[in-house]
Amino acid sequence: MAAKRKEVDLRFEQVSKRYVVRHERTADETSHPLLQKLRALRSRSEDFWAVRDVSFAVERGEVLGIIGHNGAGKSTILKLLSSITAPTQGQITINGRLSALIEVGSGFHPELSGRENIFLNGAILGMRRDEIAAKLDSIVDFAGVRQFLDTPVKRFSSGMYVRLGFAIAAHLDPDILLLDEVLAVGDAAFQEKCLRRIAELRASGKTIVFISHDLAAVERICGRVILMSKGEIVMSGDPAAVIREYQSHANESSPAPTSGKTNSPITSTTLTFQDGSGLRTAFRTGSPLVAHLDYQSDVRLDDVVCEILLYTADRAGKCELSTGTLGQSISIPAGRGAIVFSCEELGLHPGLYYADVAIRGRDEYEAIHVHHQAAMLRVDPGKVSRGEFYQPHSWRLEPPGPLG
Amino acid sequence: MSTTSVLSADLTSELPSLAEPAALSAERRVKVVRPPSFSLGDLAHGIVRLRDYSDLLWTLSVHRIKVRYKQSVLGLAWAVLQPLSLMLIYTLVFSVIARVPSGKTPYAVFAYAALLTWTFFSTAVVNATNALISHSHLVTKVYFPREILPLSYVFAALFDLAVASTVMIGLMLYYHVPLTIHVLWTVPVVAVLTAFVTGISLFFSATQVRFRDIGMAMPLLMQLWMFASPVVYPLEQVPVRFRAFYELNPMVGIVDGFRRAVVGGRSPDMRLLLLSTVVSVILLPLAYAYFKHVESTVADVI
Repeated sequence: MAAKRKEVDLRFEQVSKRYVVRHERTADETSHPLLQKLRALRSRSEDFWAVRDVSFAVERGEVLGIIGHNGAGKSTILKLLSSITAPTQGQITINGRLSALIEVGSGFHPELSGRENIFLNGAILGMRRDEIAAKLDSIVDFAGVRQFLDTPVKRFSSGMYVRLGFAIAAHLDPDILLLDEVLAVGDAAFQEKCLRRIAELRASGKTIVFISHDLAAVERICGRVILMSKGEIVMSGDPAAVIREYQSHANESSPAPTSGKTNSPITSTTLTFQDGSGLRTAFRTGSPLVAHLDYQSDVRLDDVVCEILLYTADRAGKCELSTGTLGQSISIPAGRGAIVFSCEELGLHPGLYYADVAIRGRDEYEAIHVHHQAAMLRVDPGKVSRGEFYQPHSWRLEPPGPLG
Repeated sequence: MSTTSVLSADLTSELPSLAEPAALSAERRVKVVRPPSFSLGDLAHGIVRLRDYSDLLWTLSVHRIKVRYKQSVLGLAWAVLQPLSLMLIYTLVFSVIARVPSGKTPYAVFAYAALLTWTFFSTAVVNATNALISHSHLVTKVYFPREILPLSYVFAALFDLAVASTVMIGLMLYYHVPLTIHVLWTVPVVAVLTAFVTGISLFFSATQVRFRDIGMAMPLLMQLWMFASPVVYPLEQVPVRFRAFYELNPMVGIVDGFRRAVVGGRSPDMRLLLLSTVVSVILLPLAYAYFKHVESTVADVI
């Protein structure tokens, strides 16, 4: 008997993935469309390496987190792992049944009932019919949609839709589970349920790969974290250390997909959240929040407004931090700098939020610079209130007046 | 070393739930993913994986049938209405107006028998061709053997064929066309047809991902193909000097063979049926290999 070695469930060996980006020339009005097409076929195409020479191994029972900016190659790794796309070079070995939980509910058919959709979606995710039948009750209870089981899902609320999608996926029984930003769905209670389910899976010895912007969740779940940048692994190891490295180098990393006017004078923006004591990704309702927006600008910008929009995964805008709430504008000096927004009491209710950054001229619609999903913010239960948001307030008890 | 193993054995006995994953791990299948290459050798591998997903193929095929009839008032009747209405139109045009000969068989029965096979072919191919691009939201997010998408349309069309066949029986009773033992020939004929349909569907749906022209050309192609097959006229009407060329179309042997077996009381023309069989048997694995080759990068280009 050889020394007992941990079995490796996933192995990436010098894996690279290339995408071909075609540069379509601007349409030449004078020539025939067919000629344009033919020219386009010969047009210069550019290689884009989404993942480059990446090697890593995941042992059985390990929970690996993968973090990095948008465009760092995280999603491509997930697509490669789940066989959605094949590598350009290298070799991937998968030992066991693998299920990916990428975007839940994408296989739903609106005309079919909840029950029929459970069978359809379960089958798409690779479950057998008898397996789904056995788990049907449990799935329905997890999602909390029992009385709507025979209703077409087009009549479902978006919350029910999402919960049902996750409930099905949560009942997969794979050897290896891939998770991608799944916790961005549902309300705080449902997210907590999902995290518990993931903890259960981990306890039962499943191998899990978790890809997320939600650093708080990554730190809570993962045993090891890989940091990616520009398609390569930058660092790998203890979650707390890698996350710290990621946050401290956030300023120097390449900007995530940004848009706005071409040749924007703003070359990068980085958004981080802090409380009194330091960098954080999780906050509580009613606690203080500081949004730190670091920027780099080639020129001085006058008469601009800087905005941070916070919104939920279903793209519902929740609130905005802006330098222009009273109609005024600011000037941004050239070079590196920061704009700091302070909130004494965070009004957002528990949940996950994304933040978009925009810098625009005052009263102008088109932004000079936009940074989509510049950061993610997790709000945990703190001060409890009903309604849409927590309204900071104080109260006092008036002593009763003299009786007439 | 030995102490460690004893310790772990003790732990296992204390926790019975751990025994189950251990049993599961014995049947773990190792999958190795490499850059895509075009090879017939991968076919066996593809078929094994397809078997793992046979429940999905079944569920999706049933789903196609359900969704199609769910919100329509006439429901299942649509499976019959299409060949039936085509038969009425063709009977009017080619029998009442143009007087195409159909031998001893009444033209309505003659046309309907051919339209059964033709409708199966065209419905399956037209739907399956769009299978990948109409499910791009799934293809880019979840992995499953992609051939399940076109195949589910083939199976749904096969189901329609079975439903529409019941009307065939009614028509034959009405026109007093006798059913003979040769009707058993429909089984191998439909088998060859299904293989041919599957091959064409796999090839077209994979090609459609890069060249949407296939979808654009489909209505025209189907029209031409139908008139190049003995659907509305008998095979015997085709001038002999064109025959050799005409018979290269695999649908000729299938449409004619099916009609001879059902309403002609004869066995199919073996030479033609053999040709259709050979074409299908060669086409199917080639189309499948091509499909699997395209599959590996389909999520990147769709």
